[in-house]
Amino acid sequence: MPSVLLTDSISFELGALEPWPSDVKLYQPYEVEHILLQDQANSLAVQVFLRMCGLEFQVEMRSNAEHMSPSGKLPFIKCGAFVVADLDPIVSFIANKGINLTDHLDAAQKADMRAYMSLANNILGNAELYISWCDENVLNEVTCPRYGSVYSWPLNTLLTWRKQKQVTKKLTALGWITKTLDEVYEDVDHCCNALSERLGNHLYFFNDRCTELDAVVFGHVFTLLTTPLPDNRLASIVRSYPNLVEACQFLEKAFFQKPTANTTDGDSDNFN
Amino acid sequence: MQTAERNSPETTAKTADVPLQLSNIKALVEKINVEGLGRTKDDLVIKTIKELFEAKDFQQVVLKSQEVRTKLEKLGCFKNVGVFIDTSKGQDATSSGLEITFTVKELKRVLGGINTLVGNNEGSLVIGSNLPNTFGRGEKLQVEYTYGTKQSKGFNGMFVKPLHNKANSILTSSFYQQNSEWPSSGYHLCEQGISLDASFDSVPLLRHSVQWEGVWRELSCQSRTTTFPVREQAGHSLKSALRHVIHYDNRDSAVFSNRGTLFRMVQELAGLGGDVGFVKHELTYQLNVPITNDVVLQGSFQGGFMKRLNDEKMIYICDRFFLGGPHTVRGFEQRGIGPQSDNQALGAQTYWAAGLHLFTPLPFKPGHGGLGDILRTHFFVNAGNIDNFNFGDNIKESARILTDRYRLSYGMGLMLRLGTVARIELNYCVPLKCQRGDRTHHGVQVAVGVQFL
Repeated sequence: MPSVLLTDSISFELGALEPWPSDVKLYQPYEVEHILLQDQANSLAVQVFLRMCGLEFQVEMRSNAEHMSPSGKLPFIKCGAFVVADLDPIVSFIANKGINLTDHLDAAQKADMRAYMSLANNILGNAELYISWCDENVLNEVTCPRYGSVYSWPLNTLLTWRKQKQVTKKLTALGWITKTLDEVYEDVDHCCNALSERLGNHLYFFNDRCTELDAVVFGHVFTLLTTPLPDNRLASIVRSYPNLVEACQFLEKAFFQKPTANTTDGDSDNFN
Repeated sequence: MQTAERNSPETTAKTADVPLQLSNIKALVEKINVEGLGRTKDDLVIKTIKELFEAKDFQQVVLKSQEVRTKLEKLGCFKNVGVFIDTSKGQDATSSGLEITFTVKELKRVLGGINTLVGNNEGSLVIGSNLPNTFGRGEKLQVEYTYGTKQSKGFNGMFVKPLHNKANSILTSSFYQQNSEWPSSGYHLCEQGISLDASFDSVPLLRHSVQWEGVWRELSCQSRTTTFPVREQAGHSLKSALRHVIHYDNRDSAVFSNRGTLFRMVQELAGLGGDVGFVKHELTYQLNVPITNDVVLQGSFQGGFMKRLNDEKMIYICDRFFLGGPHTVRGFEQRGIGPQSDNQALGAQTYWAAGLHLFTPLPFKPGHGGLGDILRTHFFVNAGNIDNFNFGDNIKESARILTDRYRLSYGMGLMLRLGTVARIELNYCVPLKCQRGDRTHHGVQVAVGVQFL
């Protein structure tokens, strides 16, 4: 049997030969009662990226999306015979077909963009994980009911407990588990500060054209602003950077508010 | 006076000629001793040996004590049982009284072992330990760890309580974890569950089992190339099911049968709790007819039907039926018949399979006691069909649907017996009829296993 690495590179090569099919689907957990902070942010990032590239797709919600994904990461897209998960692999997959958003960037800017994407995903992504799974309040009131809502008893308790252990293990390895909630909020604040400074008074991060970084930041900012949590400190931190909010609203109007036949999810809520 | 002194020659001659009739000797069992009891409870022993008191003559005593000895050995408490019959002694003894002593050797408290196990196309190593006669009434507590050749691993812990009644009832409760790989469908399955079982004989040889099983299943894709319909089923599911099994087997041997029938029917209702819901019926029937001394004709049939319980509960791929392979319809790859996607089997809800076999001894007839006992030649015709049929109310129409696109194969081969439970088959198969999408195997197929069509 060929090794997995070889299969991946072969599949990408083969994928490059085919045009974008008309029946591409994006899989994620149920939006209203199931999905959690980090998955929502990642899914929105991929959705807005695909729309930025002008590619058609449909959103499919499944209770077992996390287990269907080949790498365990969400969201994933099914494009013909290929299943690709997570934003970076999807960006590479689409780049192989000759579509990308970073042609207008020089090497230094590309490196810059990667650095900021890494910052956003590491700080905001891990903060979302921390708040969902390590804060007692949020864990009991929001995360456990949502994560277990698709399973029957006693699986809902068992699986939620198992997932919590996995996330705690990951955060321990990253050194996040020892942080207090206040330290996490501080980190989010610093990160938003850095992003806000880079954005300045533009609507896009680079050359007034959208890139993956805009997609990633949109995903996180939109999620943090619109997800109701017992403690709304996250939302207020993000709101204190009006240029980030404005860029997010702009992208939402541009790519989500038109009622198109492409989406099966409920259209995004407004900010409140 | 003469008459008193003389010994009549006829009487002496009579007592010398008449053979001794055990059934004419009046005997009564007055006392039964059981020596060697430790933790075995008295009431169980008394219940088993009680019938010995009913013996009225010596022949009955001898026969019954053998029966009681066998019963004692089957209790699951003792290793050896010895019988000693003596005339009764002591104050209350009568002239025809007997005293019987059973010498028993109790099983050790803890037993362990390493065994090998043969399954369908798989061998496993079993390391286990058990506590026989745990509480004194023949119960058994057993823990086993299994490691198989196909990377399947599992362990189970089981507590068995026999009730020692006429119906030979046994209550079993167990918990288990089983990992298995199914490359023909592209998934890996991890099952963890609890099961409760009550088995009894309603009439001799007809065994019923009523079971409840609660299983947590985790299905994961084996590789990135697993086909999407199977990938859609990945994840966790919980099955809570009631099952009823009827089993009747009067064949002289399960492996190389010469005569007898096997009948087995399983009915399962899943859906009392959990997210899996279906009603499943499955039937196995086998009839062996000896034609001459060494030649046996066997007809066998298997069939199954399942239906989803309601709209809220689902049927997963690991619940469905599969067909094809060296253990079912030969001449096809494992799970090679029926709905497939990218050469991976998806399974279906209804199937039937039938086989007609002719077993003959080896052509050069090596005779008994050698190769002839464990080797046989085998000619077969297998047929079957599997799909998600939509049956209407019309029986004729349903029968037509079932037989419409059936598969057929024939061939011949050699069978080698492994002990008393398993056999190896080496067959040359020719698939005759198949449908588009089936994965056929024209040529030699080897299989090891316990159960064959």
